[in-house]
Amino acid sequence: MNLKADLINPFLKAAFDILRRMGKTDATRGQLGLVSSPVKGDEVNVAIGITGDLSGQVVFCLSEETAVKLASNMLKGLPVLSLDELAKSAISEFSNMVSGNAVAELGSQNIFCNITPPAVFVGRGVTVSAKDLDFLLIPLHTGLGNVRIFIALKESDS
Amino acid sequence: MKKIKVTQLVPGMRLAEDIFLPNTNVILIGANKELTVDVIRRIEAMGISEVSITEETEEDSKEEKEKQLIPLLMKNHERAVSAVEEIIKPSSDYPLEEQVIRGLADDLLAQVEVDSSLLLNLTHLKRYDNYLFSHSVNVAILSILTGEVLGYTREELNRLGVAALLHDIGMMSIKPEIWQKQGSLLPEELEEIKKHPLYGEEILKAGNFPEEILAVVREHHERCDGSSYPYGKQGKEISFKARILGVTDVYDACISFRPHREQMTPQQALEQLLAEKEKYDPVVLNAFVSVMAIYPTGSLVQLNTGEVAKVIKVRKNNPFRPELRIYYDREGRRLEKPLRLNLAEDKYHTLYIDKTLPAEEHRRIMAELADDFV
Repeated sequence: MNLKADLINPFLKAAFDILRRMGKTDATRGQLGLVSSPVKGDEVNVAIGITGDLSGQVVFCLSEETAVKLASNMLKGLPVLSLDELAKSAISEFSNMVSGNAVAELGSQNIFCNITPPAVFVGRGVTVSAKDLDFLLIPLHTGLGNVRIFIALKESDS
Repeated sequence: MKKIKVTQLVPGMRLAEDIFLPNTNVILIGANKELTVDVIRRIEAMGISEVSITEETEEDSKEEKEKQLIPLLMKNHERAVSAVEEIIKPSSDYPLEEQVIRGLADDLLAQVEVDSSLLLNLTHLKRYDNYLFSHSVNVAILSILTGEVLGYTREELNRLGVAALLHDIGMMSIKPEIWQKQGSLLPEELEEIKKHPLYGEEILKAGNFPEEILAVVREHHERCDGSSYPYGKQGKEISFKARILGVTDVYDACISFRPHREQMTPQQALEQLLAEKEKYDPVVLNAFVSVMAIYPTGSLVQLNTGEVAKVIKVRKNNPFRPELRIYYDREGRRLEKPLRLNLAEDKYHTLYIDKTLPAEEHRRIMAELADDFV
């Protein structure tokens, strides 16, 4: 299935919104691209599963530097010294908010989904795969550095 | 069982009856299923206007258990406050006995082990007239919790607790008219107040307290940027335990009721600390935030779906996903019975805390909820 704009736009809109309100930064979108699975991640990667009318995966990839800055802003300016448990929880919650917000928007199109808890993978060399699916890449340029969002979605069986 | 409008459904409620696909006997959503955001949306989209929900939830028994613990913890807290009063009042026999205070700190440690987040609720809600003594107990509780995150041993936590319980003892050497004064202090009165860390050190020296505890009492008002008193010490010149107290002392003072200024909400107090982060040790601040979370216990928050809830329990290192008690549905109607919901549970990940309520609204709602304790 080709990813329809209707399904992707909610994620884009949510990412802009959450980056602005919680990440305290503006973002611009780079060139969208189709990437075949598995994709090579970044230093910090957060994967969230989508279940319900759609099934698939959303993966947020960012450098450690960007993650630390984003975590600090999410934590209301708390000095974040390293990517510790607290910082990771902030990055998880960022990904969670974007996905939760996007899923809510899909609900208003009568597509009802739930999300699974974020899984955080740290370290270079992380690859993420989605069974039988290609990923759509949304590159975002933010004041904190680049955030790449990979989305693989399909309509659920039955 | 009771019938309610679909717009009054709140995640965490349970259906009392099956919902069928319109004009069929195909069950779409089974009875007793705990409602998640997507299921509620689905019910709404089907054009159903009313559903029946059960009034008992699984969380109720947990809630009952906690309710039984509260009076006990409250009593212990009150007892600790009067014990501190007994011990540090000038009328009592100086020099102090270290052993007595150590026992008191041990009691607090034991309570932290029973249920630290219920205890946190108490530090937020129990506002005594005898500020100085309840403040000492609260700072001890907050410091012990922060020390735990920093990996302190029980013995170290005990010493930290002792220092916290005694940190303001020097106030006893100052005329009560000054430290109990309503309204702002004269310059000379302020100068006198600024001596309380040194007065405290003197009292404890007479009691042969170890230097480690003397240092905390002497330095608990010093700030990492060198901006404070009595010596204007900076960063590492300040003993580490005193840097812990620097944070917990300010936080509790902010959320306490004080005659000369408006009481802050837990959220405001946290923001105040973070706004002046150069004054505090970043390691301590991090530990403190992982205890208090970014929406501290007692905060009123609004979910992305619109419901208004109170943060009742936070878990270490999961600052964004506390346990909540929902009081108002998404259209602002007060629920007949508050509904408990744990944001950390997998099925509730589409929900998130969108914002805290502004201080004014916080105060209004807290007054409305006054009958509901924790």
